[in-house]
Amino acid sequence: MSWILAVFSSEFRRIFALRPAFSVLVAGAAVYAVFYPQPYLNEALRDVPIAVVDRDGTSSSRELARRIDATGDVAVAMVLPDLASAEREVYARRIYGVLFIPQYFERDLLHDRPSPIGLYADASYFLLYQRVSAGVSAVARALGVEVESARLVAMGVEPSLASAASDPMPLTAEPLFNPQGGYATYLLPAAFVLILQQTLLIGVGLLGTLPATTSVLEGAYRRPFATVLGKCLAYLAFEALLLPVYMIVLPYLYGIPRLGSIADVLVFAVPFVLAVGALGMVIAAVFRTPLFVQLASAAIGMPFFFLAGFAWPADAMPEPIRAVALFVPSTSAIDGFVRLSQLGASMREVRGEFLTLWGLAFLYGAIAVLIEARRRGAAGDPLPAARGPLEVDQRAG
Amino acid sequence: MTRRSRFRSGFSLVFWREIGWLRRRPFLLALTVATPLGLMALLTAIFSAGLATKLPIGVLDLDGSDLSRSIVRMVDATPDAAVASRVADLSEGRTQILSGEIKGLLLLPRNLERDVLSGRRPEVVFFYNTQTMTAGNLVVRGINAAVPAAAAGIRISLRTAQGEPIEAAQHALTPIPVQTHALFNPTLNYVHFLLAALLPSILQIIVVTTSSYSVGLDVETSHRLRILRRLGGGLWSAMAGKLAPYTLLFLTVLCLSDAVLFDVFGLPLRGSGGLLLLAGVLFILACQLFGALLALVLRPMATAVSIGTLLMAPAFGFMGIGFPQHGMSWFARGFGSFLPGTWYLTARIDQTIRGAPFDLSVKPVLILLAMVMALAVLVALKLESIRAVAARSQRALGLTERMA
Repeated sequence: MSWILAVFSSEFRRIFALRPAFSVLVAGAAVYAVFYPQPYLNEALRDVPIAVVDRDGTSSSRELARRIDATGDVAVAMVLPDLASAEREVYARRIYGVLFIPQYFERDLLHDRPSPIGLYADASYFLLYQRVSAGVSAVARALGVEVESARLVAMGVEPSLASAASDPMPLTAEPLFNPQGGYATYLLPAAFVLILQQTLLIGVGLLGTLPATTSVLEGAYRRPFATVLGKCLAYLAFEALLLPVYMIVLPYLYGIPRLGSIADVLVFAVPFVLAVGALGMVIAAVFRTPLFVQLASAAIGMPFFFLAGFAWPADAMPEPIRAVALFVPSTSAIDGFVRLSQLGASMREVRGEFLTLWGLAFLYGAIAVLIEARRRGAAGDPLPAARGPLEVDQRAG
Repeated sequence: MTRRSRFRSGFSLVFWREIGWLRRRPFLLALTVATPLGLMALLTAIFSAGLATKLPIGVLDLDGSDLSRSIVRMVDATPDAAVASRVADLSEGRTQILSGEIKGLLLLPRNLERDVLSGRRPEVVFFYNTQTMTAGNLVVRGINAAVPAAAAGIRISLRTAQGEPIEAAQHALTPIPVQTHALFNPTLNYVHFLLAALLPSILQIIVVTTSSYSVGLDVETSHRLRILRRLGGGLWSAMAGKLAPYTLLFLTVLCLSDAVLFDVFGLPLRGSGGLLLLAGVLFILACQLFGALLALVLRPMATAVSIGTLLMAPAFGFMGIGFPQHGMSWFARGFGSFLPGTWYLTARIDQTIRGAPFDLSVKPVLILLAMVMALAVLVALKLESIRAVAARSQRALGLTERMA
């Protein structure tokens, strides 16, 4: 017990004393908290520029263009004579869609004929495409309902019945949890979990490869379990300071709504931190020098993020990939944290993820204990960091 | 020896020394080739379906009529959604959404059929999870297609009941139909949209960090830098020989991943392959020179590597693929425009799916070229200043020795 405490306090102090570890776990986390959300802070695309090619030139066609311009989604940035010139503007990325109103648009409307319009929307950026097509379709539909009701009334149908005939079964699509469809609200709660994982993973990887305090080294090989446990508790204590900032304070500061209870989020965080901490120790043993830990983990965050089935639904991934994904803590953690805090789920509804994270914590913890026992047992070379395959000199603080 | 041949022999000396290093150091080779290929393979596997189809939704059918059953059938028949569960009440539906089993819940109210036929306009509600944006948008697209289609059948019968001929009734359904054309990516394929942009972004992180590392090995101390300069017969040829093996390796990695995109996933090449390749070479050079500059400016090398990671790991968001630059703040847009990847992805999208005309697609390539030249000048200036400082301190050392 006293050994666990000794390891705990030594490891906790190393987080702040060793410069590489401190710069990842504290400075890195602080920089990301400000830097990472920058692209998404406007939440939504507004007034996406499109062009109108109006071949009709009547009051009806101008009214359609005016209403489309009035929506928050799109803005009519230019009126062009033909599709060819509009195409060039699309290629030049000055506009992201072209609304084509054919000749006789008004005449067909007046003669009770369908009067189609063409929309060419730039699908090389999906979010722009969605904005443009949603904005234009909504206006066309609303105008169409007006036209149809007016026609029916003209036919002698009662006005109340006319609206029923043009829209007998209105559909309300009710977005839950992120009603404005904001991009920051969507992305940041998940991304923050990933940032926590990556900083802790690299930080622990660095701590495990930087030279250890000699007093701790001496007894470690006799007590591998206590050593691993003491270190994990040190990471847990550190994350007890950092994680609430990332999961509760930052979302609040960025105006992201939270439905779930803070207590549940913190309880769920315990196996997450333990699993990541233990995995970090395994990584330290695999890569052996601080520099290699950094180089090897630099680019891995992005695949981890998409592996989590958040941005791209897990239902669409091949089965083996979904199995592999379960071994990465962020997969269950992103899913669980987001459902707890953003959807207001209860612990019962994230039980599967919670248990998976405990499973990972024990799995990686056990591997870390084995590595610790073998490494210290191998003896003769108590400084693991000195065995790196390259002549890289170690810098501690 | 002429100047040119000295450059060439120095270049090849450093070049071959670097190849030898790569052969003797499996970690370096793994980092430059195996890591990017492995991560790219993983991402490719994740997105291999290209389209997410048949996402699970739940139905709460309180009506149980012919109409409600036909709505459920039509929803189930859309490519986007599949009816995975029928729930007994709203709270069961809520639980299933919260536990992630279903992405949305379609509520068909009691007496739906009766109220529709009597013109009371009952409301059909679809609750969907927008916290996971891709899945939420897809299932709502399916519902938006299926429910109005079911309503159209009713509208036709309501009109024919008024004595309108069926053909006229059909015509009158949508007075202003919108014929939407999804330019450049008509099937909204995520491989062509997202994966094709993710793979170079992975490479950007790896090229910058490993360049910091490999250059750092030679410039960390002025002694090592002197060895490199002597070997290369000058700083320029030494640096060129140092970087060139990696340029070739990274270019091979990029070409391999692109070959998979073009051949297996049918990514179109509507523009110029030459321009795409040129942009790729410039992109890799810009990333390498940026990594080299970090290694020259920041010591120890570990700091250069971590600053490189710090800047490049979150870069994807700034390059405006998922959330376009149109919606970004001036800061985010400004930072994005300093990333080689932003311009490479622009050129790449232009030459692959867009097939932009030549005169409109040279701008990103020219910007990449300017970046490469500016970074090369900065690297050269820094190298010269290191040499000047070293030479000064050596003279000072010589002076003190003579005085002693």
